[in-house]
Amino acid sequence: MLERLYYSSGLVFPAIATAIALAVSHSLDPYLAFVATSWIIFGLLGLSLDIIWGRGGLLSLAQTAFYGLGGYFGAVIAINMASEWGMTLVWAVPSGALFGAVVAAALGYIIFFARMGELQSTILSYTFTLLLWAVTQSFKIDIGKAAIGGDNGLSNIPGIVLGFGSKAESLDPNQTFATVVAISAVIYFFTRWLMRSNFGKVVDCIRIDVEKTELLGYDIRKIQVMNFAYSGAVAGVAGALFALWANYLNPSLFSVPEALLVPIYVLVGGLGTLAGPFLGALAIGALSFWLGGGAASGQTTLILGAILILLVLFLQNGILGALGQFWRQFIPDPNDAARHAGAVKIDTEVLETILTDAAEQAGPAKELDSNNLFKRFGGVIPVNDVSREFAPGKPYALIGPNGAGKSSYLKTCVGLYRPEGGSIKLGNDDVTKAPIFERVRKGMGVKNQKPQVFGENTVEQNLWSAAYARTKEGQQATAISQKVLGMLGLEEQANAQASALSHGQQQWLDIGMVLCLAPRVVLLDEPAAGMTNEETRELSLLVRTLAKHTTVVVVEHDMEFVRTLEGHVTVLHQGKLFAEGDIETLRANDAVLDIYLGRREHV
Amino acid sequence: MELDYLVTVLLSSLSSASILLIATLGLAVVYGLMGVINLAHGEFLMVGAYSALTATQIGIPYPLAIPVAVVTTMLIGAIVELLIIRRLYGRLFDTMLATWGLGMVFNQAAVLLFGTVSPGIGMPQYNFKIGGYSLAAYSIAMILVAAVMLAFVYLLMTKTVYGMKARASIQEPKMAQAIGIDSSRVNTLTFAIGCGLAGFAGAILLPIIPATPSMGLFFAVKGFLTVVVAGPVALTGSALTALGLGGGASVTASFMTSVVGDVFFFLVTALLLWLYPMGISARWRRKL
Amino acid sequence: MFKVTNATGGYGKTTIIRDVTLEVKASEIVALLGRNGVGKSTLMRYATGLILAKKGSVEIAGARAPAAPAKRARLGLGYVPQGRFVFPRMTVTENIAVAAASNGFDAKETVKKMLADFPLLGPKANDLAGGLSGGQQQVLALARALAIKPKILLLDEPTEGVQPSIIDEIAGVLKRINQESEIAILVAEQNLDFCLSIAERAYVMEKGSIYLETDRESLSRDKELQQELLGV
Repeated sequence: MLERLYYSSGLVFPAIATAIALAVSHSLDPYLAFVATSWIIFGLLGLSLDIIWGRGGLLSLAQTAFYGLGGYFGAVIAINMASEWGMTLVWAVPSGALFGAVVAAALGYIIFFARMGELQSTILSYTFTLLLWAVTQSFKIDIGKAAIGGDNGLSNIPGIVLGFGSKAESLDPNQTFATVVAISAVIYFFTRWLMRSNFGKVVDCIRIDVEKTELLGYDIRKIQVMNFAYSGAVAGVAGALFALWANYLNPSLFSVPEALLVPIYVLVGGLGTLAGPFLGALAIGALSFWLGGGAASGQTTLILGAILILLVLFLQNGILGALGQFWRQFIPDPNDAARHAGAVKIDTEVLETILTDAAEQAGPAKELDSNNLFKRFGGVIPVNDVSREFAPGKPYALIGPNGAGKSSYLKTCVGLYRPEGGSIKLGNDDVTKAPIFERVRKGMGVKNQKPQVFGENTVEQNLWSAAYARTKEGQQATAISQKVLGMLGLEEQANAQASALSHGQQQWLDIGMVLCLAPRVVLLDEPAAGMTNEETRELSLLVRTLAKHTTVVVVEHDMEFVRTLEGHVTVLHQGKLFAEGDIETLRANDAVLDIYLGRREHV
Repeated sequence: MELDYLVTVLLSSLSSASILLIATLGLAVVYGLMGVINLAHGEFLMVGAYSALTATQIGIPYPLAIPVAVVTTMLIGAIVELLIIRRLYGRLFDTMLATWGLGMVFNQAAVLLFGTVSPGIGMPQYNFKIGGYSLAAYSIAMILVAAVMLAFVYLLMTKTVYGMKARASIQEPKMAQAIGIDSSRVNTLTFAIGCGLAGFAGAILLPIIPATPSMGLFFAVKGFLTVVVAGPVALTGSALTALGLGGGASVTASFMTSVVGDVFFFLVTALLLWLYPMGISARWRRKL
Repeated sequence: MFKVTNATGGYGKTTIIRDVTLEVKASEIVALLGRNGVGKSTLMRYATGLILAKKGSVEIAGARAPAAPAKRARLGLGYVPQGRFVFPRMTVTENIAVAAASNGFDAKETVKKMLADFPLLGPKANDLAGGLSGGQQQVLALARALAIKPKILLLDEPTEGVQPSIIDEIAGVLKRINQESEIAILVAEQNLDFCLSIAERAYVMEKGSIYLETDRESLSRDKELQQELLGV
């Protein structure tokens, strides 16, 4: 009971809160209703930030820009339409949403398609807001009946009118409150649904590990822009509602104190909780209401600044975060299962069917071909003119002493490093300049040295998000991920968080994710690292089976493991191809032994 | 177009680029040598301006009021580093939020202490003429001040032991500790120096930019952009971006309106970040 | 001289080394052997204080080492990390000078001495360290560690990615400073020949613990152990 309530708390409590707010809306003191309406609107604005920050991972300081622009745009439409048609909501809210979304998409396009660093993105979004502040001070224009007057602002904005026709009346404060609560509730529940949908799951993956999400073949830039646009739309709705509530807008919407309030709402309530920002706005609003003034000004700003510092230093997860942590002590921990997990045992029959299914769906295996590949870092050249072709059949092992450039070569093939010279072909496509996700979509499956799993997500979700990247269809993805889950024997740990698994199990989960992609070329960087002897044997079996169906390249230190692969072996030394052959020939080769042992004659 | 007009525009643009650089250097030092973005930088500039103003009001001559401002801001900076920044090492965005909050606190405190309008310091204005155009001598002198400040910071960071320690600490933090550098002490000093540079900027600009609680904001915003566009080679990068962006915006502004100048600044910044997502100096091989 | 007792530690929740105890006596060169991933680098970082100790202690020149890495350096712990980690945007001279100055030694004199000891660095003295080749960076990292006048020097994979001529030079320098300045040395290596050429004694690690202590003679005789160690 307590457990089910915990997992649906984001649904139940907001629903109760909405019901109470609607129930008491008639009997509230009109002035309190009036002020409280603004708190709800600020909560909505906070929600817009939580979408892009708490879920998307970008601290955007442009939310008040979308909010202000949505407000202005919605207000201009409302002023022009209301006198004839009434019903300001249908004019202002969608146009505010649309405008907010379009502007956010444009800004997001610059940020995400340029692959800007986190800091650069945040600073750019901040500047955008402040630029608007500067520009709107002197921006004067008449659009129909609406007169935008620079720092004189835009007045004569009608209130919320629900009736149609020129005679329709504005709502009174209590009705306005109820309407705003209803709209916000709709948006909140829709957002909650969206963030739990397939789209939202990918957004979560991007926040947790951008690189891994791209390695699964998602065009992360597109998804991030879409998420940003949605957050802009929510901010735009909040702005439009604010315009109708205040009947007046001026450039101070874009000011620094306004922009500051939004992250405070989110942090007070709890980052990433979606409901938190409403709680935060309510708490801050109520605080400044009873401190006097009602709006954030004077001493209130001083206190808010101090609150922000204290929150960052001492209460990272906000009110809801702290409550959730407290609650979790009383419900069973799904991660318990991970502690009792046994050793992984590969079911080869299931593996075979997975691989034949994959070949059916994704086509025949592809070859990987690198030509004169060259990569340097300052004075160090880890990949020096390497030409090698890899074909399906038997696994390829890349070996060589520490610092020989094995991992760098693999990373250059994957696209994690950009080569200065040479080319890489995947099947018949030249992918030298292709972004990582495109290589993955063309059939490249990659497992890096460290296990890359989405630690906050469950084991099942990890596999699902890999399968979904390929199928783009939820049901099919579930079927595939269940099959791989079964093959790994991790059914009991399905609902545990991936971060709770042991190092070796995370390696297996990562390999499972690669299998979900049905790759046509598989690149594995030291997959046996951190595995027990038993696990290493299983891995060897898996790699050999895999190589029958696809091209497999393994970078490995562990010579015993390489021997069990019974495949081609390529020795790299100082960034160059040094020797090739099967493992027995190479073991007999003095030159190879020497570079391992550091003897000079042959090096 | 006449030559004297062109020279005037060029000189005044160079002057506003220099003013931007003066206001930005402290930020560049803190970002370049600690990896921290101090969103309260503008407010430190404001504190410097008010310290100098208060000093002149109690009878200290203006040239001596400048060191007063530097010492005050350095002290406050050191305290802030010890109380807040130190707890947030490696958490870039948390530091930004905390310093943002700090900026708000400073700003409001200044409003409460000094009100929103404040008297000038009453320095006589010297002007000189180029052809038919008149220029304020003090503004033009800022070009020289910027150059001296830049040289000072460069020498401080490359020729002193502290400077070497600071650079080592940001480039390889763990190795810096392993060879015996007490990184947290170095960081306290670096942050204090950054704040002191802001205080110096506020004080030296006082004759042309009167002290108001929100004076820092204007510079700070452009400063953040300058530093972020500049990237890891903070000093050279910032000098170059301040010259290009600040000068460019000023030239644009003098031919059109100041709003167009601001739009220019933002758009060029966006373009540069698009071309160099990690800053223009990400691949430079230079010391600072 | 240098003692690690019951060292237990790792990264985050993961424990990588367990109850490792070893000792390097004054002016002794000891090798730390073992395959990749057995915890050699982790042990080195444990000794420098760069990772959190869950248990155990470190003793440098008779004194119990404080927690802060900077204080251990001042007690005389020199460290050359795997991957070198020179300060890339500082010149060769500055890399050495900052190490000397941070420990109260004369920077100019130290630089002069190091450039004389490592002729390879001379022509590069004013180049940025990031532009050096792997071998040159390795020599610089060694010079930087020696600039703090260590009593015990920890070397982590000093031959990784380094060309043979420089490996020779490094081995020569290590032997010389060991004899002249009586610096004790602990070197973690995969390059067996390099170890055999300088070390008298060796610890062999397996799965985060020390499972064998041996000397040069038995190591160079025991081919089976060699093969197992290197995974060849």
